[in-house]
Amino acid sequence: MRPLLTAALVLFPLLARAAPLSADEVKKLVAALDDRQRNGGDYRALMYLEQKEKDKSDVVREAMVYRRDSDDKLMILFTKPKGESGKGYLRMDKNLWSYDPGTGKWERRTERERIAGTDSRRQDFDESRLADEYDPSYDGEQGLGKFKVHALTLKAKEGVDVAYPVVKLWVDQESGNILKRQEFALSGRLMRTAYYPRWKKVFSETKKADVWFPEEMRFFDEVEKANSTVILTKTVDLRPLEANLFTKAWVESKSR
Amino acid sequence: MQTLLIAYRNLLQHGKRTALLGSAIAGVAMLLLLLLGLSNGTRETMLRSATTLSTGHVNIGGFYKVTAGQSAPVVTKYKELVEHVRKNVPELDFVVTRGRGWAKAVSSGGSQQVGIAGVDIDAERDLRKVLVITSGNVDALRTPGNVMLFEEQAKKLEVKVGDLITVSAPTLRGTNNTLDLTVGAIAQDVGLLSKFNVFVPAQSLRQLYRLNEDSTGAIQLYLKEVKDVVAVQERLRKTLAEAGYGVMDNDPRAFFQKFEVVNREDWTGQKLDLTTWEDEISFTKWTLTALDALTFLLTLALLVVVGIGIMNTMAIAIRERTREIGTLRAMGMQRGQVLRMFLAEAVLLGLFGAVAGALLGVVVSTTVNALNIKVPIAVQLFLMSDTLHVAIQGSAMAFTVAFITGCISLISLVPSWMAARLKPVTAMQHAG
Repeated sequence: MRPLLTAALVLFPLLARAAPLSADEVKKLVAALDDRQRNGGDYRALMYLEQKEKDKSDVVREAMVYRRDSDDKLMILFTKPKGESGKGYLRMDKNLWSYDPGTGKWERRTERERIAGTDSRRQDFDESRLADEYDPSYDGEQGLGKFKVHALTLKAKEGVDVAYPVVKLWVDQESGNILKRQEFALSGRLMRTAYYPRWKKVFSETKKADVWFPEEMRFFDEVEKANSTVILTKTVDLRPLEANLFTKAWVESKSR
Repeated sequence: MQTLLIAYRNLLQHGKRTALLGSAIAGVAMLLLLLLGLSNGTRETMLRSATTLSTGHVNIGGFYKVTAGQSAPVVTKYKELVEHVRKNVPELDFVVTRGRGWAKAVSSGGSQQVGIAGVDIDAERDLRKVLVITSGNVDALRTPGNVMLFEEQAKKLEVKVGDLITVSAPTLRGTNNTLDLTVGAIAQDVGLLSKFNVFVPAQSLRQLYRLNEDSTGAIQLYLKEVKDVVAVQERLRKTLAEAGYGVMDNDPRAFFQKFEVVNREDWTGQKLDLTTWEDEISFTKWTLTALDALTFLLTLALLVVVGIGIMNTMAIAIRERTREIGTLRAMGMQRGQVLRMFLAEAVLLGLFGAVAGALLGVVVSTTVNALNIKVPIAVQLFLMSDTLHVAIQGSAMAFTVAFITGCISLISLVPSWMAARLKPVTAMQHAG
């Protein structure tokens, strides 16, 4: 009787810990991840992108990121270094355009393309839409360093075009923030690992609640192992932006 | 005839001067011929390497767009198109289909953006003839999962036969995909085009882009006569449009230079693009233009130097032969005859020199071709070949001889006219 009791005492917590979240709970968790980052109004952030590539010197760029989530608008305008100043991306009607003041030309880019040749992509700057794009499943509780995390696997929904058909997330149980993200190609190969070591919140008047944003994002290219990108978000401002900001003319005016 | 004979004797009489001037003329003629041969050789190499590595004489390529802003170099239902070609192109020799892709090749040693050609190696008639395999076997392309690289690519990626590389590219719908490939063969570089092209079995390319069996990148048409290219292109443009295919406006550029324009256009689905081999390698045309410009400038510079030399030497000759001219004039030779005599000397000198130079050029070019001289990588880019290839044609030889002789004759007009102007009395009194 005693060994049975001992076994039960040892196994019960393990079993309890390994018990997966129900499908509904996982969906709620993913929806919460989107919701806590969602603002619904306007968004302006000052960011620094540091790019490291094999056999190349490191490049640091300064960029302003503008969003109007109610209209699904996004604009990234590079301000430094001098050679990159004035270059930008603008999403209009589900099309992503890039502008180069050197040639004065706008080019239509694919939504899932790298931003400015770094390991970052449009989605890293945009509103989180995990629940709209993926079906989640629960992989269990895990430890990630000193953090206790929920491990999730997200598979792209049928008919939804995404850059990576499979995404794995590690969500901090305590804060509810994503700490690690891995993205896989159709072939199943791991393509990119992202770490989000620092999160911050800012109060949104539009949402009447806090909006969370990753203060630091570290992206590691898993195919070309030597390549990586660090993005630091310095300031976030959720006050309303000018009405006519998200236009090609506005981007062009910034390089004149 | 008599004038020519006198001119010939005069040339023989002044043997040293004739030899010196003749050598200079021969040198210019040889150089002109060699440069023409080099330009022609480069053109031949371009045609040979381009029409095996990346293009047919005429291509039916095209773009498929899932969304307006996202295009892929894909031709769907290609089997119907091949049937259409067979019906409408009697000039056709043979046809091959090639998958087209643009991906990042990554190895443990490096990475490189590459154009991927998906081939059915058994259907490729000339590819094997052009490729010189330095390591491995081209038959590896029969097996899906293998890749053939060129030497410089293998060096850059730091791989050898049997090593693995990963290629990564987005599919038609923009979802990232990768494919692990084993290096099955490494071929000798074939100039600029081999810098960017790698070959994989067509099935592997379809796997990377998740394409169905009825899709390819381009249908490459090889004609019996290259001269029929434009006519075939025009006919196909018409017949394909009549058959209900969407055909893009003529844009004489390589397919990978058109993505920007195509992505900007507001259409989705399939559109075909008809190009010639020259369109597909138009981005390399600057090499020929530069080579032609170099030929022109060098020849011009040398002609000016030799021309001044000839004018000067003839002026000296006339001064030395003033008394002789005076005697000839006193004996009844007319001014026109004196002019013709000196002109004939120049023409003969030019002709002998040019012929000798042309013959020497042929000898040099034959030697150069036989020696298979390797050129540095920077020059390879320029010449589209890893060895020097000089192709001298009969027409180039005839042009060189005629051009040099003509130039020498024109240059000698002034001193000949000066000789003819001399008065017999003044000439005979000349101290010499």
